[in-house]
Amino acid sequence: MDVQHNCSTIVPNQHVLIKLPSEGMKIAFLREEGTISLGKFGAFKVESILGHPLGTTFEIGENQDAVPVKSMIHNEDPVENEITEEELTKDQLTKYFEVSAESNQDIINIGLSIQKLDNKQIDDLKKSGASSEIGQKIIEQIIAGHAAFDKKTVFSQQKYLRRKQRKFLRRFQVEYLGLSQLLQYYIDKDIQRVLHMSEETLGMLLSYANIRPGGNYLVLDDTAGVVVYAMLERMQGKGSILLIHENEHANLAALRHSDYSEEYQKKMIKTLSWLQFAEPENEKIEWEDLPQEEIDEMRPTKQLQYSRRLKRAAEINDALDMVINGNFDALVAVSTLNISSLLPYVVPRVGGSRPVVFYSPYKEVLLETQHELMTDKRVLAPAMFETRARVYQTIQGRLHPLMTSRGYGGYILYGIRVFPAGGHIQAVGKGTRKKPKHDNVKSATMTPQPEAEAAKIEDLQEGK
Amino acid sequence: MSFYKYKDFIEEGDLVLAFISRGLIKPFTVKSGEFLNTRFGSFEHALMIGMKYGTQMGGVKDRGFIHLLHPSPELWTVSLPHRTQIVYTPDSSYIVQRLGITSGSRVIEAGTGSASFTHAFARTLSDDGKLFTYEFHEPRYIEARRELEEHGLLLNNCLITHRDVCNDGFNIENLPEKFAKNGGLCCDAVFLDLPSPWTAIPNLSSVVSSETRVGICCFSPCIEQVDKTIEALAEHGWTDIEMVEIAGRRWEARKEMVRDVLDVIERLKQIQGKKTQGIESKRQVKLEEESDKKRSADQLDADSALPEPSGKTTKFNPFGKGIRIKEGDEQFNWKQVTKVETEIKTHTSYLTFAYLVPTRS
Repeated sequence: MDVQHNCSTIVPNQHVLIKLPSEGMKIAFLREEGTISLGKFGAFKVESILGHPLGTTFEIGENQDAVPVKSMIHNEDPVENEITEEELTKDQLTKYFEVSAESNQDIINIGLSIQKLDNKQIDDLKKSGASSEIGQKIIEQIIAGHAAFDKKTVFSQQKYLRRKQRKFLRRFQVEYLGLSQLLQYYIDKDIQRVLHMSEETLGMLLSYANIRPGGNYLVLDDTAGVVVYAMLERMQGKGSILLIHENEHANLAALRHSDYSEEYQKKMIKTLSWLQFAEPENEKIEWEDLPQEEIDEMRPTKQLQYSRRLKRAAEINDALDMVINGNFDALVAVSTLNISSLLPYVVPRVGGSRPVVFYSPYKEVLLETQHELMTDKRVLAPAMFETRARVYQTIQGRLHPLMTSRGYGGYILYGIRVFPAGGHIQAVGKGTRKKPKHDNVKSATMTPQPEAEAAKIEDLQEGK
Repeated sequence: MSFYKYKDFIEEGDLVLAFISRGLIKPFTVKSGEFLNTRFGSFEHALMIGMKYGTQMGGVKDRGFIHLLHPSPELWTVSLPHRTQIVYTPDSSYIVQRLGITSGSRVIEAGTGSASFTHAFARTLSDDGKLFTYEFHEPRYIEARRELEEHGLLLNNCLITHRDVCNDGFNIENLPEKFAKNGGLCCDAVFLDLPSPWTAIPNLSSVVSSETRVGICCFSPCIEQVDKTIEALAEHGWTDIEMVEIAGRRWEARKEMVRDVLDVIERLKQIQGKKTQGIESKRQVKLEEESDKKRSADQLDADSALPEPSGKTTKFNPFGKGIRIKEGDEQFNWKQVTKVETEIKTHTSYLTFAYLVPTRS
């Protein structure tokens, strides 16, 4: 097994998430001797960030050396734009905010002409150096060139400054590539790839599916492995995932960003195609070991081939045995396949009282599934959930929800695998069908109830 | 029974959750000789032993049924005995996700409250992680302690302390070897569900990791609390402060009858038709009556009256008016629709997140 991920300190040969001042992000692999380019924000030497805790924010200084700073927008000099961080006193703000207005009464919108600096001048400034100091200088000049800066209120000046800092300060934050970070990266880069799943929905999915170390999970993942990665992070090397895929090979492209070795992945993730999964008995590989003498006589390349095939056959047969034994600790279905068509294959493989969880970007897809499960006796109390985080502008004295947010997130359908009573109930008393009175009592308290009642009646009928 | 691992068959002494109906899950411990009495019937514990978790069990004389479920933190959250307001799954799952808590994390929780989140933390932290949970209210502490012990959490990865963390801090004297790291708590995640988290924040510095980034979430219902919290966080060096609210919704799957306007028109025509027929027949009766007056009374006989308009119900009844129709009745057309749950949690609490990054010289 792999050494446990290092999630506390920045070390070489590790994938990390780099957050940029523009709120963009990139995943980088840290080569000890390497330099990492952040596009317009410059470049830095990897060795200058090593040894610092993951989560540290850096500023690019001279010679591409990164120096730790407090935060992305926090200013080291007396300029204090995060009002939350220290008391808003006049002397902290003197540098930029010595003249400000009480209100925005005198602001007149004259568009771009308010700024005396033109793009060319800013470009020239940018070219004059690569360190963060230049960024600071540009900001100062932009503010100096702003004809009505003094007409802004202090709050507005702060916001303006923060915007410019995001644009010109050469800062970046290095984070551990955790389960949320990988998802965030894809949300930023290619939201379709993660089926519009939000961080809060992923969290809910993992909780309802009761993901933990030692579990044995049945998984469908159309997010190229982002969901599998999240599960691996929660499992920390214990348990197993059986991943069912629709092509010849499973698509786990997102795992290329992870620090999990191929060996580790093989140990944790077994993969089977839908064909193999649907007909596990037929897909078993009949394997007969060749006599040792025969193997010894083979050419080395042939020997290698033989041992490889032997290994592959054993892997597939092991995975097929997992299917045949069933009793999975959860079904996690993040799939774009028609759910109704796959239910008959997956539901019986889930163990008793274990969760069955589906994700879809669309409520309508899950609605159909829920209706179907409500008439199916094997999944108890299916319900659809939605969870949305509403982010606030978090500044002391000025708390309010952000004015706009990206609209996405998806939905979850969660139920519990159960065993309908067929035999048991029949044994107790087939003839004693419920009196209508009893029926009414139950209907009144169980919402939406018909499936359970229908299930029971069907059970009794089946018992004949 | 365990919150860390599933098992398949029910045994004597297990904690089982009886799913009685949606919104009614009853936890109980299996003891031979006892009965679980619900308004849907009575269920004998002895019969449950050896049954598979997930079994639908019929009651005595087949009266009613329940499902016998294995405990999980998510099911426990909706079945536990309330001592305080509890943190529900939409909030707890997001907090765990956002703070990057996995197996092996070391977490502080204050206060324990009804120990709902405690179970969810313990599950995720697993054998390698540690949970330090604090409760200042003594009866609640005793109750929670007993519960955590019964559920095997104290044996595994939880340490519960009776403490007012705001006044007395988080340090634990005589910390058991098993729970110590570098001789202390050395936590990398903190969850504060306290009335005044800003008074506890200054006490954190000695119990959080000095090597790893530490995440915090303060859970407060009022915005004034958030305001004070962010001030305290900033003052003590926490950065990336962000407050969010989580809105969790459950959606119900329903069916809405497809009622076509052409059917309405046709039905109206029928009614109209009957009406005219009715008026016509009444007019006829009236005319006859008038003529009858002219005639002698003895000429009137029974067969001159027209028959009553046919049957009580109209012939064409496309929507089953007047009949009790079950949602989804196959004689009619239905459209699948969603409806948000009847009572939604519009506000649970504000979640204020921040991080403390140790500096390396």
